[in-house]
Amino acid sequence: MRLHPAKQVLLHVAVVASIAALAFPIVLLLFNALKTEADIFASPMGAPTQVTWENFRHVLFGTSFAVSLRNSAVVAFSTVLLSVMVTAPAGYAVSRFKFRGRTIFSMWLLATQSFPGIIMVLGLFTVLQTYGLLNTLPGLIVMHTSFSMPFSIWLLKGYFDKIPVALEEAARIDGCTRLRSLIRIVLPLSVPGLLAVGTFSLLLSWNEFFFALVIMRDNAHYTLPVFLSRFLGSGGVVQWGPLSAAALLVSIPIFVLFLLGQRYLVSGLTGGAIK
Amino acid sequence: MRASMTVAPRRFDEERRAIPFLLPALAILCLVSLYPLIQGISRVFYAYRALSRQDIFVGFENFVLLFQDPIFGRAFSNSIVWVITSVGAMFLLSYGLATMLNSPYLRLRRVFRSLTLVPWALPGVVISLTWRYIFLANGPLNSFLESIGVAHTPTWLTSPDLALWTCIIANTWMGIPFVTIMLLAGLQSIDRQIIEAAAIDGASHLQTQLRVILPSIRKVVLIVLTLETIWTFNSFDIVFVLTKGGPGSASMTLPLYAYQNAFMYYQAGYGAAIGVIILAVLLVAVALYIREVLR
Repeated sequence: MRLHPAKQVLLHVAVVASIAALAFPIVLLLFNALKTEADIFASPMGAPTQVTWENFRHVLFGTSFAVSLRNSAVVAFSTVLLSVMVTAPAGYAVSRFKFRGRTIFSMWLLATQSFPGIIMVLGLFTVLQTYGLLNTLPGLIVMHTSFSMPFSIWLLKGYFDKIPVALEEAARIDGCTRLRSLIRIVLPLSVPGLLAVGTFSLLLSWNEFFFALVIMRDNAHYTLPVFLSRFLGSGGVVQWGPLSAAALLVSIPIFVLFLLGQRYLVSGLTGGAIK
Repeated sequence: MRASMTVAPRRFDEERRAIPFLLPALAILCLVSLYPLIQGISRVFYAYRALSRQDIFVGFENFVLLFQDPIFGRAFSNSIVWVITSVGAMFLLSYGLATMLNSPYLRLRRVFRSLTLVPWALPGVVISLTWRYIFLANGPLNSFLESIGVAHTPTWLTSPDLALWTCIIANTWMGIPFVTIMLLAGLQSIDRQIIEAAAIDGASHLQTQLRVILPSIRKVVLIVLTLETIWTFNSFDIVFVLTKGGPGSASMTLPLYAYQNAFMYYQAGYGAAIGVIILAVLLVAVALYIREVLR
């Protein structure tokens, strides 16, 4: 079958237009970050008439950006590490063992995705207070890990299911324990799955706003999304130039890491949803 | 098929050996999911009294107050509109985009597919801030409208009729990458011969979509719709950054109203009660979602 040339051109035009619609807010962000405040409202849509680096300089040296960057990096990378350490054995158990409550465990895991933030945050307040974790990074790390668990355990279970049990059995006859066989045999064969889990938890933690907003109480503990929202203040004039520069600085690291992990994340995400 | 079926059953010690592998996950689940859920829900029976400066047991009073509260009513109906229109628009637009990205006649398919995903990596707060700028009274959208001759450009974010819709537009834009990629994966799994067979049998384009393609990707469609319904109903970032629920309560949604009560007016019990209503509404979506995933 051949497609009529006019239709083929139309197809490409439509796809490019859609991509442009998805990209234009990001382009605006880039333009604004490089514009002077006067320039921003003189030509809200156009490219900068003269490029200024003042906005970036202000964000980097005139605000607590560096502190928030450090907080976000600590929280995100710890979440990734903890997620992998917790979900790999759990995914292995769900894939390899029969145990009572396996279905309940799976259902609970999936159901947690729907729990309203407000209920969880009110309940967590008490937990965090009890353990002295309110307004601390470890509290947020444990929370972010719990958010990444449903997807991550599910995804890894899918990967582990595909690895032949025979491989492990051969090793176990030679005296290899379950844990060693997970670490030495199963995990090395599931690297794409682990990368998917890593990318997913990284995105989730770096971008998460609501819980970070509620449990962090001062500049020294704000993560980047909370730092950004503070720019808006309560009413008054918003400085769009510095705000755009800050938003861009927040987005660039996660964007680069996302590009690296995108392939694994997409195949991991879609793998379970297609029969 | 479960691989362990190929070896002799050894059920007797399976459970015992599964426990250490599950323990870390179970500990986290109990500590930051099960316990907070119960604790959070139990808050609905308490109310803060400024006079005695403590929470006292009030039974179902929070729910009684809730149903008399016009702002809650507004937030509830807004949330329903917010979910149905956002998820509906996301699905239709993403379905169209996924169909085009799946076309064998499209060049540079892989490049376009990667580009589609870009907005998904950005923090919700960044996306919300950008849309807030786009919708400013003297911002890019209005300056574009003026340039094509619209005389009276609206004040999107502060107009009672438009505020909620500006949030819906931003939310739809934000959801498209994920929905598109999921649907695209579904479309790619369809055998092209089935579609060609339908065409040979004289099925119209619409018939093929409704009777052949959609049923083939039923599972991924249901998962995506239920997940997006859950996420959108619980969504906080966009409305918080764009309008803070205003003007008045014109764009108030349930999660934002719950947050305001709990953390600005110190009415944690009232906020929790709103949370319980959200959870009750979402139960249907969750049940559907779990059924599809475990199927």
